[in-house]
Amino acid sequence: MSDKKGEKVYRQLESNTLLQQIMFRYMLEGHAASEEGRLAWVTSGFPVEIPVAMGVGVSYPEQYGAVVGSQKVGPMICGFAEDVGYSQELCSYARAGIGSALKPDESPMDGLPPPQALLACNNICGTVLRWYDAVSEITGAPVHLFDTPPLENGQPPHHKQYVKRGISKLVDFLAQTFNTTLEEDKLRATAELSSKAIGLWTQSLEACKNAPSPLNCADRFLAMAPVVSMRGTEHIIGFYQSLLDEVQMRVREGLGAIRDEKVRLLWDNIPPWHAIFKFFNGLAKKGVVFPADTYTHAWSGSIQGDDLFDSVATIYSNVYLNKGLDAKVDKMCELIKDYDLDGFVMFSVRSCKRYSLGQLVSKELVTERTGVPGVVVEGDMVDSRVFSMAQIETRIDALLEMLI
Amino acid sequence: MSEKIGIGLDVGSTTTKGVVVDVSSSVLAKSLVQTGASASDAVEKVLIDLRRGCDQAIGSAPIISTGYGRKQVKGASKSVTEITCHAVGVHSLNPNIRFIVDVGGQDSKVIRLGPKGRPEDFELNDKCSAGTGRFLEVMARVLEVSIDDLGPLALKSNTPCTISSTCTVFAESEVIGHIGAGMSPADIAAGIHMSMSAKIGSLAKRVGVLEPVCVTGGVALNPAFRKYLSDNLGVSLWMPELPQFTGAIGAAVLSFNQV
Repeated sequence: MSDKKGEKVYRQLESNTLLQQIMFRYMLEGHAASEEGRLAWVTSGFPVEIPVAMGVGVSYPEQYGAVVGSQKVGPMICGFAEDVGYSQELCSYARAGIGSALKPDESPMDGLPPPQALLACNNICGTVLRWYDAVSEITGAPVHLFDTPPLENGQPPHHKQYVKRGISKLVDFLAQTFNTTLEEDKLRATAELSSKAIGLWTQSLEACKNAPSPLNCADRFLAMAPVVSMRGTEHIIGFYQSLLDEVQMRVREGLGAIRDEKVRLLWDNIPPWHAIFKFFNGLAKKGVVFPADTYTHAWSGSIQGDDLFDSVATIYSNVYLNKGLDAKVDKMCELIKDYDLDGFVMFSVRSCKRYSLGQLVSKELVTERTGVPGVVVEGDMVDSRVFSMAQIETRIDALLEMLI
Repeated sequence: MSEKIGIGLDVGSTTTKGVVVDVSSSVLAKSLVQTGASASDAVEKVLIDLRRGCDQAIGSAPIISTGYGRKQVKGASKSVTEITCHAVGVHSLNPNIRFIVDVGGQDSKVIRLGPKGRPEDFELNDKCSAGTGRFLEVMARVLEVSIDDLGPLALKSNTPCTISSTCTVFAESEVIGHIGAGMSPADIAAGIHMSMSAKIGSLAKRVGVLEPVCVTGGVALNPAFRKYLSDNLGVSLWMPELPQFTGAIGAAVLSFNQV
């Protein structure tokens, strides 16, 4: 171990200060939009550029689930939902969302600001629709589904046509609900801002192909928050430029996210938010860095071209979780090759069936195609009751013993 | 002059095992105690046994720890996972082995080995008591036989009954139902072993079974388990002389690399 006494194994990003300011602003803007009667809750894979261009504020319950997890109150907030009959098998983001909607006064930050509409896109899973239905019963806000049927082997023309029609319906719903209109110039400007942020973010991700990797998993999971929750706004551009500058400086100076990089692994799935620092920093002490993951690479589509609805329909239908197992395996193999990774860790998230389904088969296929070993560890993103660090450590330590 | 020796300690969830081995992997002393509520107390008892049982002084011998309590062993120079230790231990005893099925008190694991004895892939079942020694303990209690007698009882059956549930709690209810229906204890015991072997067989097939296959852990001592697992996998099984100690032997063998 090369870390000197008093020197942390893990290097903090200076741009995190800016990140905290932006996320604070996001929270304030959500409350302001709610008070002005123009707030929608949206799912993480929603084409948020449309409501943003129409002047509708947005809040993300999934991101709130991450906050619940990282504040280590998952069992309590999920418990509020379980107390009224929701199963512990249900998505813990959904349980955290429903639980905090039921008891905002007992939830972190007094819950998300009350919504006037609930916008669900099922490109990440089907649970979101029923989850938002449940929140609708509590808050009275109407639910609108933007339907993106799953894809296998590309997007056929009829699929794109159907999704494009869905965008028009979404615009009609927002126009009626919030008494607003969509102007093409505004949508184009929003899409450009969104693309710019995504472009900068993607450059930071790709810089991790360098060894040592300038970012580790926890860095990316935190830094992705603005590109998830504030795509299409001006003020996140500065943050992603600062992050990229810092990342490029690290690459130039040969500084890694961790001080003694020995093993480079791929991470698959949402992280255990309740143990994110303990988990990744614990592995950093053993020289393990995660230069790539399948989750933070999911926000990479850029809306462009003459027909913006066409571009939206393409990008939001082709997200990682809306495609078949072959596409997931291809993506993992591509990341392992491009980022020169030694192995992979698949987090089987007990309550996220859509992401975790097929991991055992994927594991075999990825090893077969890349020649690198992997391991599946089980737990949950928010609900720490189904997470055993000792059991996970045994599996990952065994993987490392195979590599080192 | 004393020869070079190493100590391996396997702190499992149910029992703690310790061995002293020489460079040829021969076991010079061994000890097995219940882990109980204190892993450090169990380790202390094992070390006392090893001191008493070994002809030469073990005080300066290197120690490697393994098992779930591996990080609790203060005197160990290193802790290594049970996956690697079982692989090393079995390979030192029989270099031909390419697959290990280890069934302990509260977990089961399957390990596929490369030609040089290194783990290539593995799976663990440590979240569910089905497919572990605990499953057999619960069933033995229901049938009112000792755990040691359960295997021989099962081997008397010609018509094993079906235990369809792989969950210990549900399987216990099923066994009680069979008792109520008048099934013979031998047939029920055979069904219990078949059910458990099927569960572990699935785990093994997922990793990809390569022959020859070795079976280790406390449950390996049960002849009915070996029979039904062998039937399920369609292969014959090799069992080392001390199946409960292979993890500790592997740890002790690894200790030679530490000095």
